[in-house]
Amino acid sequence: SSLRRLQADSRSRGDRKNTGNSRVVYCTVSHFFSFFFSLQGAGQDVGRSCILVSIGGKNIMLDCGMHMGYNDDRRFPDFSYITQNGRLTEFLDCVIISHFHLDHCGALPYMSEMVGYDGPIYMTHPTKAICPILLEDFRKITVDKKGETNFFTSQMIKDCMKKVIPLNLHQTVQVDDELEIKAYYAGHVLGAAMVHIKVGSESVVYTGDYNMTPDRHLGAAWIDKCRPDILISESTYATTIRDSKRCRERDFLKKVHETIERGGKVLIPVFALGRAQELCILLETFWERMNLKAPIYFSTGLTEKANHYYKLFITWTNQKIRKTFVQRNMFEFKHIKAFDRSYADNPGPMVVFATPGMLHAGQSLQIFKKWAGNEKNMVIMPGYCVQGTIGHKILNGQRKLEMEGRLSLTKKLCRNNNNKTCSHQGSESNHHLLDVKLQVEYMSFSAHADAKGIMQLIRMAEPRNMLLVHGEAAKMEFLKGKIEQEFNINCYMPANGETETVTTNPSVPVDISLNLLKREMALGGPLPDTKKPRTMHGTLIMKENSLRLVSPEQALKELGLNEHQLRFTCRVQLQDPHSDSDTLHRIYTHLKSVLKGYTIQHLPDSTVMVESIVIKLSSSAEDPNTKVLLLSWSYQVIDLSYSQC
Amino acid sequence: MGEMDAAEFDDVVDDWFIESLKTYKDLHVYQLEHPTRVIEWTSGKTVCVAGYRSAKNELLELLLPLKLLAEENKGLCAERDFKVVHGGFAEGPVHCLRHIPGTRCAVTNDGRSSGLQVWDLGGDDSDVIRRTASVAGRSASGRGSRIAAGLSSDPRVLHGAESSDVLLTDLTSGQSVYKLKSDAADPLSSLQFVSDSVFLACCCSGNIYTVDTRASDAPRPSPPPATGGGDGVLWCADASPSSAGGAGRVARLSSSGEAVLSDLRDLGGAVSRARLDVLIDHHNWDDVKVSWAPALDDCIAASGFSGTVQIYDTSAWAAEPAAARPLFEHRGHVVSSQRADSLPVLVTSHVWHPERPRTLLSAAADGSVHVWDWVDQSAAAC
Repeated sequence: SSLRRLQADSRSRGDRKNTGNSRVVYCTVSHFFSFFFSLQGAGQDVGRSCILVSIGGKNIMLDCGMHMGYNDDRRFPDFSYITQNGRLTEFLDCVIISHFHLDHCGALPYMSEMVGYDGPIYMTHPTKAICPILLEDFRKITVDKKGETNFFTSQMIKDCMKKVIPLNLHQTVQVDDELEIKAYYAGHVLGAAMVHIKVGSESVVYTGDYNMTPDRHLGAAWIDKCRPDILISESTYATTIRDSKRCRERDFLKKVHETIERGGKVLIPVFALGRAQELCILLETFWERMNLKAPIYFSTGLTEKANHYYKLFITWTNQKIRKTFVQRNMFEFKHIKAFDRSYADNPGPMVVFATPGMLHAGQSLQIFKKWAGNEKNMVIMPGYCVQGTIGHKILNGQRKLEMEGRLSLTKKLCRNNNNKTCSHQGSESNHHLLDVKLQVEYMSFSAHADAKGIMQLIRMAEPRNMLLVHGEAAKMEFLKGKIEQEFNINCYMPANGETETVTTNPSVPVDISLNLLKREMALGGPLPDTKKPRTMHGTLIMKENSLRLVSPEQALKELGLNEHQLRFTCRVQLQDPHSDSDTLHRIYTHLKSVLKGYTIQHLPDSTVMVESIVIKLSSSAEDPNTKVLLLSWSYQVIDLSYSQC
Repeated sequence: MGEMDAAEFDDVVDDWFIESLKTYKDLHVYQLEHPTRVIEWTSGKTVCVAGYRSAKNELLELLLPLKLLAEENKGLCAERDFKVVHGGFAEGPVHCLRHIPGTRCAVTNDGRSSGLQVWDLGGDDSDVIRRTASVAGRSASGRGSRIAAGLSSDPRVLHGAESSDVLLTDLTSGQSVYKLKSDAADPLSSLQFVSDSVFLACCCSGNIYTVDTRASDAPRPSPPPATGGGDGVLWCADASPSSAGGAGRVARLSSSGEAVLSDLRDLGGAVSRARLDVLIDHHNWDDVKVSWAPALDDCIAASGFSGTVQIYDTSAWAAEPAAARPLFEHRGHVVSSQRADSLPVLVTSHVWHPERPRTLLSAAADGSVHVWDWVDQSAAAC
């Protein structure tokens, strides 16, 4: 146990009126957060999120994304910052994944299975369901298509997912005795979450990607007024003002409509979940209103998969969808029918939703090959495409594509055997050139918070500090100024790979003994006001994990210590021709006149007392006119003595 | 707002958006945090907007969406947001803002005193707009100044609140280089240069002074041709962009919805007139604005009477005033404004794109800013 006597009241008399007789124990405990930003990329869509937070002695990794723009080691975060001093499992208390986009979770199997991490990984139920599908897709493209080695395997994805603990919204999860986390709805994509991390009285909120405006498909992000010490927000779109959702939809409808009207076919490659459902709802409504007759098809596998997930995660969508779902099956559309591969050759206009979204394999690629040669047709890419996919190539304006022929299978087998490509097997005839004549449209429906959204979230959560990640500091000086002025908080913008340390002033709860409180009440003064600091005297005892404020007497008793009296004295010389007793009397009268309201006594033993201050007088032996004044006071009344001397 | 109302509102908006597939080539709808009364081009791709609340306000320089500006491969460009390229803080409201061509400098007025604030819009190294200087005005009327940027290469601004206090100030030296001699304290609606040395001082009374800064004699005002508007009618005006050979024209628009076109050389006479199809009861006069299309013959835009921006083709107007129907009406601000009271939202400003014939930007009192490229249905039909 330890006893700490804290700094005593050091206020002057003048303050007494305001604070009554109360006395305060000031106690400032500084804790430090340190943030390590492990390599994020700049630029939209290709960044990589991986943030390390140290809070109250706990280390938490926020997201574990991969950089979509690199093919080498740079695509994964550099964990050597941690591993040079030991294993990840020992260092990290937990890993939290905000949502299923690869720039937020793509390095997860690499980290857990190849670098090695066995601690808990937290993500929401939908993220847990969708994340492995995306990782597997991505693995296939990288390893099977591009022939890369040194990549995680299907088994690693499975093993990694076994370490995942699912999170429910608004449910506080105790990671260990001291660390707790709580997920909040973030909008953005199905299952996206913001997370509140708390250790003791310190806390951090990490937003991941979020969206502050509801759409046809998802609701808006929401969080408690949880007043975290730091709010960490993405800022990729911090300097933008978002075009309205309806205008995005309008462009989509316009393109589809124009193509249908000229008798063309529209291919929309989609990922099974997310925007596909939103776009179907949109087209269904539009077809109804415009009384359009052209067929709309949906890949069958897509329907089943989507229905399955939507049944599971219906609470994660917005209210309107939830209601629709209760009334009827999500995909019992009047105008949208199941697709059969033979339909692709049917004459006349049609719209087809098909997987996969990046045109790297399967049905969407087959249809694309059939329709690419006709300029009346159109392909609408509603999302991001990974390098090396047909989707990525056509989005970059490539109009001639080298397609794999039938012999590619042989090539692949050969590659697997020798671990390198056997070029002699693939002659020129295996590849044919595909002329892309159809129109290519890129439409981003991803919903991110813009400048206004960030301000809204700050207003909601009321953080004490703001930290913007993913942005370019030089281009965000204005935003930083705006946040600091409007909310009177600090705003930090660490560069990639930089550490930011933020000092917090956590309020420390202290138990106060009833006796001490009663004593304070007896001293009078105004009743306590929660909004105003109030001075109070006592002894702080820190024992185990508790802090108690008790009267000094009780503290001495509890700790078995003897009380020591501490008094200060000083000598003051005066020139005064009067006798000693006259001089003392004159001092007494003077003090009476200037210190109204204090107890001043002239005692028979030739001393004057002002409250507990003792004043004695004696003459100098050499010169009777030189009087020596002796003052003595206890440490409690130090100010009074000085101010009057 | 009840659930049913919200659904009805959605229907109305959906209807308009579906209609917009045919009526607009491009349409972008943005929501600023605070409404703006100014939209000023600072380059071919950027505009400045600023708040007009009585307290602190923001000045923002916005980059137009790349998708709108893309010449080729428009379909591959997904970028459709405004980008805030520069921003700054103004201590008071911003009622008037002018960019000085060829510089990174803008000049503002707060609408309650005649002085001007000078701003550095910032370069590539910083995103902050900083106030660099002030210019004193001559008026103590408590009226805000109108501002016009000079067309010559020297950075000069013409400013004043009334016809009696118009100054031409050189921004480099801060010295006034010309003072308009006029005894009439006629409140100004706008100032506009028509050539290097000639400007128009348009007054709320409808009077227009044509002033040659090289001449020393006091100019005489040209009143608007007599109209049926009666007393108390206010006027705003705009001169057509000077085209090679063609005579400049001035459009005057009154608070009673009357429009008068005059030849720049004969501002007292009318070439043609019309009664515009506008509401004249609800407007805030400061918001009413008329402007010539810079890249489309004979077209003007009018706004401020309601929540719409109207485009009129003036080529059909005659010498005798008749009711004119707009060639196009942008109803976007009205349709997408979801106000608790049923009062219509007013358009606070509009501006034409300097080169694209049918692209405009407009702002409304609810903070919405729209960028729209409209389709001329009459032309599309034939």
